[in-house]
Amino acid sequence: MKIVAVTACPSGVAHTYMSAEALERAAKAKGITIKVETQGSIGIENRLTAEEIMEADMVILTKDIGIKEEERFNGKKIVRVGVSDAVKKADQIIEKIEAHLNSKK
Amino acid sequence: MGDLKVILKDTRKHLMTGVSYMIPFVVAGGILLALSVLLTGKAGVPEKGMLKDLFFIGVAGFTLMIPILAGFIGFSIADRPAIAPAAIAAYVGNEMGAGFFGALIAGLLAGIVVHYLKKIKVPNVMKSIMPIFVIPIIGTFIVAGAMKWGIGGPIAALTASLTAWLQGMQSSSIILLAIIIGLMEAFDMGGPVNKVAYAFVIMTISQGIYNIAGISAVGVCVPPIGMGLATLLAPKKYSGEEREAGKAALLMGCIGITEGAIPFAAADPLKVIPSIMVGAAAGCTSAALFGVTNMAAWGGLIVLPVITGKIGFVISIAIGATVTALMVNALKKVKVVGIEDTSKKSASEEIELSFEE
Repeated sequence: MKIVAVTACPSGVAHTYMSAEALERAAKAKGITIKVETQGSIGIENRLTAEEIMEADMVILTKDIGIKEEERFNGKKIVRVGVSDAVKKADQIIEKIEAHLNSKK
Repeated sequence: MGDLKVILKDTRKHLMTGVSYMIPFVVAGGILLALSVLLTGKAGVPEKGMLKDLFFIGVAGFTLMIPILAGFIGFSIADRPAIAPAAIAAYVGNEMGAGFFGALIAGLLAGIVVHYLKKIKVPNVMKSIMPIFVIPIIGTFIVAGAMKWGIGGPIAALTASLTAWLQGMQSSSIILLAIIIGLMEAFDMGGPVNKVAYAFVIMTISQGIYNIAGISAVGVCVPPIGMGLATLLAPKKYSGEEREAGKAALLMGCIGITEGAIPFAAADPLKVIPSIMVGAAAGCTSAALFGVTNMAAWGGLIVLPVITGKIGFVISIAIGATVTALMVNALKKVKVVGIEDTSKKSASEEIELSFEE
């Protein structure tokens, strides 16, 4: 199972990176491959490659502010989460994604 | 009409995107402006030399924040073609006194107008002139025209009365406002509620009111500094990880990042969140009583150079942090190894996810 994610928050200095970290930790704990692109106030970091997006089974996008270059994810399975929720409930989010993807098999 | 509904459903996201691009303008403008006033040594606008130039650099930042806010709200809705109509309309509105609200409305209106303009079918040869000529010209004419000849006046009147109300607030009302700001800023530590309070603060700064920003500067740093202090005062009540997080929180609080308190709230929300809310409210009330003012749209000790009422500012932070630390430590029992704190699971709600495929 492969997940990609993009996180972005209004001030772009804290929640952006905390949510990225939380999602990475939660996914790794379940042995799921994840790569998180951050769109903080400094700009895009850890940019997702076209290959990584293509191979992803699920895309997580935060919904507090607009995601840059969202067209990259057209046609992909997307789930939108609040950046605060991503920080506090990353485990739940990853669990639910896993359950959803498994039920579709 | 379906399109309009989709756009308006995401209004919050569009507004927040605009705010997100605007923040550096407000911070740079506010701090440089306040620095120039600070360095003149007296309470007034610098009159000559480099300081006067610095003052104008700061003012430039402030002036630009309104069109930038609108421009990027429009961008969030309808991408690049919306930026110019939104920014120009907001600038026009600001000249009429419409300020922050004018920018919000200009951004939304421009986004919607450009969204529909983009749908107009044109023969292929004409396609390239749409985003460069047709949309900017017509979009700007419609939105800025609406501002100038229609809605600008009423928005300006609304802004003026709100400003007058804020300026004329009696001390008891300011304290109530301070308490609300403190509670909101601590409640989700940088999350959506915190951001609403923050947007309100930016609005007051754009209207030349600086005491709300002073209050807010205390409110945003009390949660992390308070929790950091708590780990120092009663280390046995915290895990090794939390004690490390406490040090990081102290640092984050100093630079005004409320999120430093999040690890503690996630681990023990029922005891941490009320404590940081009460502490922030206490600190904010103290700042209101001291009459702290702040020209930068940011908080924490890092903005101390541009605060008037510095001693009151620091005392307010100390009061808020102490209240938080004492309250949370009183509520917490000593951490015993092996016993799970189950309050976390029961307190947090189930998260709803909807999958778009």
